[in-house]
Amino acid sequence: MSRKHTSVETRYMEEREQTLRGLEGLSRRGFLKVSAAAAAGAATLVGGMSRHSFLPVRIAGAQPGDKGFRFAYISDSHLYEEKVNDRFVRGLLRAVDDVNRMDPQPDFVLYGGDLAQLGQASELQLGQQILKTLKAPLKMMVGEHDWFLDLGDKWRELFGPELYSFDHKGVHFVTLMSVVEKDFWTERKLTPMERMKTVAGLDNGAQRSFEVGEAGRKWLADDLAKVPKSTPLVVFSHSPLYKLYKKWNFWTDDAEPVQALLKPFQRVTVIHGHTHQILTNRIGNIHFHGMLSTAWPWPYAPEGLPELTIQMDRPDPFNPSDGCGDGSFDVHPDGLVDSIYRLWNRNPVSVKASYVATGKTDRPPTNSRRGY
Amino acid sequence: MRTRLLFACVCAMTFACNQKERAEKREPAPGSAPAAGGATEVKLCDNHTTVALTELPKDRGGGQAVADQLMAQWRQQHPDQEWETAVRRSWTIKPPADNASVIAGGQREGQTYGRYTQLDVTTWARESERAAMEGARVFHDGDELGSTIAVSCDMCHPDAANTHPETYPKFQVQMGRVALLRDMINWCLEHPVRAKPMAADDPRMRAMEAYILAQRAGTALAYGKH
Amino acid sequence: MRRTLPISILALGACSIGNAQPAPQDLHGAAPFQDQLLRLEPLIKGFDPAIGPPWVDPVIWKASIPKDNEPTAARIALGRKLYFDPRLSKDGTVACATCHDTTRAFTDLRPTSEGIGGQVGRRNSPTTMNAALLASQFWDGRADRLEDQAKLPITNPIEMGFPDGAAAVAAIAGDAEYIQMFKAAYNRDPNYDDIGRAIASFERVLIFLDAPFDAFLRGDAKAISEEAKRGWVLYNGKGRCNSCHPLNPANPIGSDGRFHNVGVSARHHDFLDLANKALAVLAKSGSEATLDVLAVGSDTSELGRFLVSRLESDIGGFRTPLIRNAGITAPYMHDGSMQTLWDVMDHYNRGGEANPYLDGGIEPLALSEQEIADLVAFTFTLTDRRFADANATAFAKQRDQAKAKRPFREDDLANRRRMPFAATPAGSKP
Repeated sequence: MSRKHTSVETRYMEEREQTLRGLEGLSRRGFLKVSAAAAAGAATLVGGMSRHSFLPVRIAGAQPGDKGFRFAYISDSHLYEEKVNDRFVRGLLRAVDDVNRMDPQPDFVLYGGDLAQLGQASELQLGQQILKTLKAPLKMMVGEHDWFLDLGDKWRELFGPELYSFDHKGVHFVTLMSVVEKDFWTERKLTPMERMKTVAGLDNGAQRSFEVGEAGRKWLADDLAKVPKSTPLVVFSHSPLYKLYKKWNFWTDDAEPVQALLKPFQRVTVIHGHTHQILTNRIGNIHFHGMLSTAWPWPYAPEGLPELTIQMDRPDPFNPSDGCGDGSFDVHPDGLVDSIYRLWNRNPVSVKASYVATGKTDRPPTNSRRGY
Repeated sequence: MRTRLLFACVCAMTFACNQKERAEKREPAPGSAPAAGGATEVKLCDNHTTVALTELPKDRGGGQAVADQLMAQWRQQHPDQEWETAVRRSWTIKPPADNASVIAGGQREGQTYGRYTQLDVTTWARESERAAMEGARVFHDGDELGSTIAVSCDMCHPDAANTHPETYPKFQVQMGRVALLRDMINWCLEHPVRAKPMAADDPRMRAMEAYILAQRAGTALAYGKH
Repeated sequence: MRRTLPISILALGACSIGNAQPAPQDLHGAAPFQDQLLRLEPLIKGFDPAIGPPWVDPVIWKASIPKDNEPTAARIALGRKLYFDPRLSKDGTVACATCHDTTRAFTDLRPTSEGIGGQVGRRNSPTTMNAALLASQFWDGRADRLEDQAKLPITNPIEMGFPDGAAAVAAIAGDAEYIQMFKAAYNRDPNYDDIGRAIASFERVLIFLDAPFDAFLRGDAKAISEEAKRGWVLYNGKGRCNSCHPLNPANPIGSDGRFHNVGVSARHHDFLDLANKALAVLAKSGSEATLDVLAVGSDTSELGRFLVSRLESDIGGFRTPLIRNAGITAPYMHDGSMQTLWDVMDHYNRGGEANPYLDGGIEPLALSEQEIADLVAFTFTLTDRRFADANATAFAKQRDQAKAKRPFREDDLANRRRMPFAATPAGSKP
């Protein structure tokens, strides 16, 4: 053979080899007899590599037995009823299967919003039914596609309040409703479905910009008032909580006042949906991570892309799930968060807190086939 | 379309005004008939849209209200008639090229050839833009495309992003051969959209090509680019 | 002068095969090499190495030949001798022609192949026909070119069994005829790299792209049946075949050269456990020999391209095989698990087999029975006319087999009435 095959994991493999040499007498025949348990044991020796992902996911500075934790996410499924569109249903089923196969199981699963496509009861119910098959506990977040048919009635009935917070292993989690829009429908006498379809078009300018809104900001301020500034903060939001591209509502109108509420905290990470792509940003001390969709990928906006974002390769339309997937977040004991994108049919991409903080360390690989 | 609307408006208003006069003269007015229970039917000039009034208007304002009522009803029954407004409200279409330069020049008035007027230039712009707007309408509508899974083009191509029509003809990897823009549109119709492919001269196909090309105005041609 | 050249290649070859024939019981199911040579003669008559094959874009053809191995009569003759020489195997019974038999469509028509000592491997033998035009060789693409591919079975313990290239060279280096032929071909003493080069030169003669389908494309409307014509439309449409098996003048063989997990491996093994095991052994010794053993000799063979690239996205991925002459090269897929083209259609129609690494482009197709028949009919028109008889026989045989059973058929999945990946609520029984 003229070329020795090398992979991006080569450096990691060399380190791993050193560790595995500790496994004595591993002959060519012997490896087949290595039990699954031993293999898993070997895997966890090297800084917590999950048997599920072969990307070296190292918890920064972690010793075996450290108290960081992991949670998974599934987002933006945009379900129609099964008989209308089977493809989107299949996407959500695949994501649930991915998360259920994780070993060890994540602490909980975040659903990132846009469970339904047109906010219909049948769509939301179908989504709930599928998500019920998750083994780990589920935390829901609402998206605009879930909301604007009935302004949240069905969502609240099925999933509870859209604004809530909880604490987990020393981290304060806040779930926002950040896709509020100022009323554009009453004046034009739109029916609920007309309103929903207007909002459902990403590029439909007849709708208004997303915002958290005055009530939401008040709720947030009250909630955060009780939290010490040294507590790590993770915010779940469907819209990005910063201003990327107004025409596609990759945008939160009141981003500045919301960020002002978050800024005083030492460690803040915002995790958002809506954008269906790998998206990374940092504003001051706030880290922003976008989530993947299970339904379809969005192209990158023609302007406003944060510098830190390393675009994923342009998806191939032959594969409707190219550019889609699910993922997880590793929360370090100090509250820093690494994002792992589990793209279907592509290699996983890890966007570490160290990269977001510096723009240089642990830089994810660049790609060459941009959208245009 | 605009002219027709205006006509209906004027029609309705005229009716309302006449109605008032005739009421005072206590004569049965043309275009109205006594309905059951004593209500008067007022028809729009399309001879179809009807409003039943129990009490006739007494002043200009009242008459205008009846006219508005008729128009609102007509709009509701013909939602597509104001499609241009709807398209403009939702989506931005890039303007066509500015042809003002062809109006200038030393050709003499009255000549047939070599002379264009402001009216010509305006007509071209209007028609070109309308073609793109019609395309925007089809592009964003899964039902119009014939999708069997309620998918529309804008789900992967908001504002026709990532369509790069300037790269055609090119070897389209998904088709295993060289394609033109319309071939790729048809491939997308068949697969991601799961609709029937369109004939090359299907008005919807032509409209979508117009919109996609309009959105890339100003980009240099680069055939074969992947 | 040009015209007699090809025939003289054959004459050289026919003479020198004599004393290297294995005993009949040691043929491992292949036809005797003398018979194979007789079959070969008319098939490659008229091939001119200077011009290259007809029906292949000359620019593409030229680009597919490495600079250091331009085809000459001497190189082709040497390669031919080596191809049919069982001395290149440890026990003297296996030659390239054992698994790439000229009387069996240049493959062996078995699900997986048999090597020395009757050992059976894990991978289906691809056909040598048109292999010259593939972007890479082996199901996992671990060899870039024919030159590289030819050298690997010789040192594989299951296939031909030599411990290394030097041993293989030693087995033939004493032969005076070989010494003379290597001199004439490469102006060097016999060496392992040139063995690969020579075999590759011979294999480049094996281009078979003159099928009824090609006649149809050239304008003969009667060359293929109406069924097949409908199949061609489906191939480029609802069937989605052309995305991975494109057929165009620059790429007439019907493979995109990329690696796709279509779910065939998922029927046998647990990927996660396998991948861990493979990583363990590769970390210890990442040599080609180890890779080669893994690819052919163990369960981990099912991991496919992952063994070569060690990228998670390649788990269970195999390179799209060429589709030319598929009618006569059953069984299908990397493990030979599909007996008929109806099975292949059923597999794709149902959306492959769900697994975490399934290529998302493999979706249920909702093809009707007639549409499947049309696609099968079309695929059979891709067989070169020189194999028309074998093609007709294969078609009849497969049609009967398919009538008897369709093990991969799943209408509910194909018509999207049932979803793959569907799970039960946590804690309940599946």
